[in-house]
Amino acid sequence: MSAATSAFGNILIGGIFHAAVLFLVAAGLQLVFGVQKIVNLACGSFYALGAYFAITFVNFALSAGLPSWTLLALLLIAGLLMAAVGPPIERLLRTVYDRDESFQLLLTFALVLMFQDVFRFVWGANPRSLDNVHLIYGKWAVGDFSVPVYNLMVIGAALIAAFLIGLFLRRTNFGRMLRATAENRAMAEALGVNVRAIYAAVFTLGTLLGTIGGALVVPTAAASLDMAVEFVIEAFAVVVIGGLGSMPGALAGALLVGLIRAGSLVVYPEFEILAIYLIVIGVLLLKPSGLFGKPAA
Amino acid sequence: MQVSRRVLLTSMAATGAAAIAPGVFAPAVSQSKPCRIGILAPRSGIAASAGESGLRATEWAVEKFNAGGGIAGRKIELVVEEETNPKDTIERFQKLVQQEKVDCVQGIVSTGVGLALGPVVEEARALTIYWDGTTQDGVDETLPNPKYLFRSTDNECEAVMSSLLTIKHWKGQFKTIAGINPDYSYGRNNMAAFVALLKRFDIEHEVVTEQWPKVGTMELTSHVAALKAAKPDLIFSSLLFADLPIFMKQAHAAELTKGTKLVFPAAGWQHTLMKKDFTPEGMIFGHNTLYFDNPKATAMQKEFVAWYADKFKDYPNWEADRAYFAIASYKQAVEKAANARGGAWPAIDDVIAALEDSSVESLGGKGSWRKDHIADQTFVQGFSTHANKYDFVTLDPARIETMYSTELQKPAGANFWDWLKAAKFQI
Amino acid sequence: MMRGSALLLVAIATLSLGLVPILAPPFYANLLVPFYGYAIALLGFNLLFGYAGLLSFGHALFLGIGAYAAAVIAGIWGIKEFEVVLVGAALAGLAAALPLGWLAVRYTGIFFGMLTLAFGMLAHSILFKFYHLTGGDSGMRIPRMRLFGLEFAAYNKIELLAGPFYYYCLTLSVLAAFLMWRIVRSPFGLHLRSLRDNAQKAEYLGVRVRQFRLAAFTISGIYGAIGGAILGFRTGLADPELVYWTHSGHLVFMTVLGGFSNFLGPVVGALAMTLLQDQLQSLTQYWRFVLGAILALVVIFLPRGLAGLASDVGLRLGRRWAPSAAGARDTA
Repeated sequence: MSAATSAFGNILIGGIFHAAVLFLVAAGLQLVFGVQKIVNLACGSFYALGAYFAITFVNFALSAGLPSWTLLALLLIAGLLMAAVGPPIERLLRTVYDRDESFQLLLTFALVLMFQDVFRFVWGANPRSLDNVHLIYGKWAVGDFSVPVYNLMVIGAALIAAFLIGLFLRRTNFGRMLRATAENRAMAEALGVNVRAIYAAVFTLGTLLGTIGGALVVPTAAASLDMAVEFVIEAFAVVVIGGLGSMPGALAGALLVGLIRAGSLVVYPEFEILAIYLIVIGVLLLKPSGLFGKPAA
Repeated sequence: MQVSRRVLLTSMAATGAAAIAPGVFAPAVSQSKPCRIGILAPRSGIAASAGESGLRATEWAVEKFNAGGGIAGRKIELVVEEETNPKDTIERFQKLVQQEKVDCVQGIVSTGVGLALGPVVEEARALTIYWDGTTQDGVDETLPNPKYLFRSTDNECEAVMSSLLTIKHWKGQFKTIAGINPDYSYGRNNMAAFVALLKRFDIEHEVVTEQWPKVGTMELTSHVAALKAAKPDLIFSSLLFADLPIFMKQAHAAELTKGTKLVFPAAGWQHTLMKKDFTPEGMIFGHNTLYFDNPKATAMQKEFVAWYADKFKDYPNWEADRAYFAIASYKQAVEKAANARGGAWPAIDDVIAALEDSSVESLGGKGSWRKDHIADQTFVQGFSTHANKYDFVTLDPARIETMYSTELQKPAGANFWDWLKAAKFQI
Repeated sequence: MMRGSALLLVAIATLSLGLVPILAPPFYANLLVPFYGYAIALLGFNLLFGYAGLLSFGHALFLGIGAYAAAVIAGIWGIKEFEVVLVGAALAGLAAALPLGWLAVRYTGIFFGMLTLAFGMLAHSILFKFYHLTGGDSGMRIPRMRLFGLEFAAYNKIELLAGPFYYYCLTLSVLAAFLMWRIVRSPFGLHLRSLRDNAQKAEYLGVRVRQFRLAAFTISGIYGAIGGAILGFRTGLADPELVYWTHSGHLVFMTVLGGFSNFLGPVVGALAMTLLQDQLQSLTQYWRFVLGAILALVVIFLPRGLAGLASDVGLRLGRRWAPSAAGARDTA
């Protein structure tokens, strides 16, 4: 493999890895928005929560003697455990379901503020990270090109999640009820759907996707106080580009954002962050419902 | 240690009074009132770990000083406020000065905040000592001759030192260079200083890529891939927030660190996160003004580091030294001025006069104040090594380099870039 | 015109504010200067939010525009007259609001919010990145300016802020509020409200939906820029963090805290937030948590904000004192 190809391969994989994590959190956002019409500004906080807790959990498990190769499972479990914050927060949001959507947005903003100090209180001011434990899974190398197998596993996990979610929404009864509620809540309720339970489940699932995203990214990155607030922007960019409420949109949007960032770094590094915003604005202007969204507003 | 806003060290004061007979100063009325020092430290966000280190060092210093009778007989009381953004920090500063009526304000880590606060300090006529955040590039016109404000060493000192070390040790061993620096004034200036010095010493070099990740960003895989694609012989990086260990991890995973020379002037902020797992040996690695494991450390530094490690299960970064230097030099100046007045608490002008040209033994080494109210401090850098008892890298004791900032920062009134071209550097 | 008792209340409040530099410790006069900046900006913001029903999550952009305009006019061009800066900021706000508004008002609800969020963050990135032009993270200096051509040389900046500038801002705020009151009471304001409540119906009735929304957006942008100029004067620096999305969030927070369905609600919110934040930051290092909790409580239990609460209390008292005089209220 020539140097240029392997460089290209590195950048491609880097972009796809980033896209995988973005997709997980964006999928959570999409689910919640699609069904409950809530834009959750605290999605970044869930992401950070997953990351921070994963570090604590993994360190605890490894020092308790568990072998390193259980890392992936540990991360998934950590994410799962933190999804427990979903139900109580949903309960809180429930108080403003019937109000103007700006109230819901503001309540999630209040959560962002509160979470910032929770992170500081529990985990302190220093950024936290795991050692390169994830390299236990080895690297896959072809010539100059190499990628940690862990990264591929995360990409795989995201794809599996995408597939499962799609299956769930399309094939299961619960999924059907979910889509019905998303389409027309009143009608669904009239038809006997327990909307309350749906909302609670959806929000928790959305939270779970966020916390797992954070947990999975933490081996290659770190958890820091800033991450919640910074991540929201990217997650929103994905969701807008892909189309609010659309699952395929989350996938497409995440890929687009991940690859554009990666690509611009090679072509014109200075442009990196601006590129994303410009694309968001472009999409919002040309096709506001996003690539896959249904024309609504 | 979670610090409450006001740290009243009454217990220490009590034991201090019992243990040591305080010096007999002229008992002016003000002697019985505590000496209040306002602290402005970041506690959230990317600079939080720096602020925390500085705050802890200040508390340690206060405990020690109070045990010895305080400053000129007055016990020290800290009033802590948070440094956030320019507008709000100015408000907290004014609260400290106008409402809390502190005797001195210390702190500040961010450049932007420092810049905005400077004129306010002068207008308020409140003695203020910055820990950090000073940059000498292009800011001369804002506060040419501050009276009440004392500022830290240039942010570019560490870059100058690393550049000199690179030239000294690796001259002729590299050709292509790359940079990955945080995209703000600090990162920009550091990279530019490095390149300027290479040019100055006629070191052949070719910049193959410059990466400018957003400050504190944690998604660096693409940057690493771009660096790898460029195949540089040497990478210069002034990353210093959470992005630093992440870059190292991802670079290691991508095998970028194998065989590439690495120059990291300010890696000391996140030093405990630079695990041996992914941080190679032989990097030029800077600890700014406090290297916690310095074999040549003073007894005081060793005592501080031991206390810090015991209490917080962590090792201090250089902000601790900056904070200590601020309060220690203040104490020294006040006591010198007080002695000159037979023990009475000195006026602010006397303290300022005593601060100028003074020097103290700070945690990390000698520190002093210039007449233009810029600090001079001791900088420590070296080569990373795995031969230690920690799980992160430290400096190879046989190859530690120490430089005093008189060799690293421009004199008063000069332009940074002109000075770089013409100054006599010791290599 | 406003109901007599409400007008009286406003008069008393204005008078009390006017007495702050004289009666209260100097710190509070300084603390309240940014309040005026926010009050003006929020009056504009609420035209968009409370009256036109459009929630912008990027409104801090205009604060930044005002501050940077001040930096350019007074700092770079050297015209240190605050009146010129105010006009300049207003023009800059107008110039930015027109194209951005034209693009944004095609949408409502969440799309509008996201588009404005994107604009704000785009501006943040630009301000940060193009540091040769904008000073990057260090920002641009805003020098001290003359008020009505007067240098006030005897005052240092702090005294200036707590004295002449304080009254300048107070007056400016009163004027801005008066102007905004006329705007919302005008047919234009009425149309805006009808748009908010039912855009389709309004369109059938001949209301030009987009143009009106654009007008509201532009006016709010101008007010925001003026507020930003005041903030900039006080801080002495225009920096990119002014336009970060969480700052926009705080603007919304203040509006909701005060009550967006009340004309002066946002102003009350700005005042409450300024005082609250000051007290909280001195009280605990976890003030963000407390602030967030307060926002949550307000959103859940006090949807009409403090002004709404005061209004209710006032009504109840009014009923108790003069049961027969309780008439129809005209809230926004």
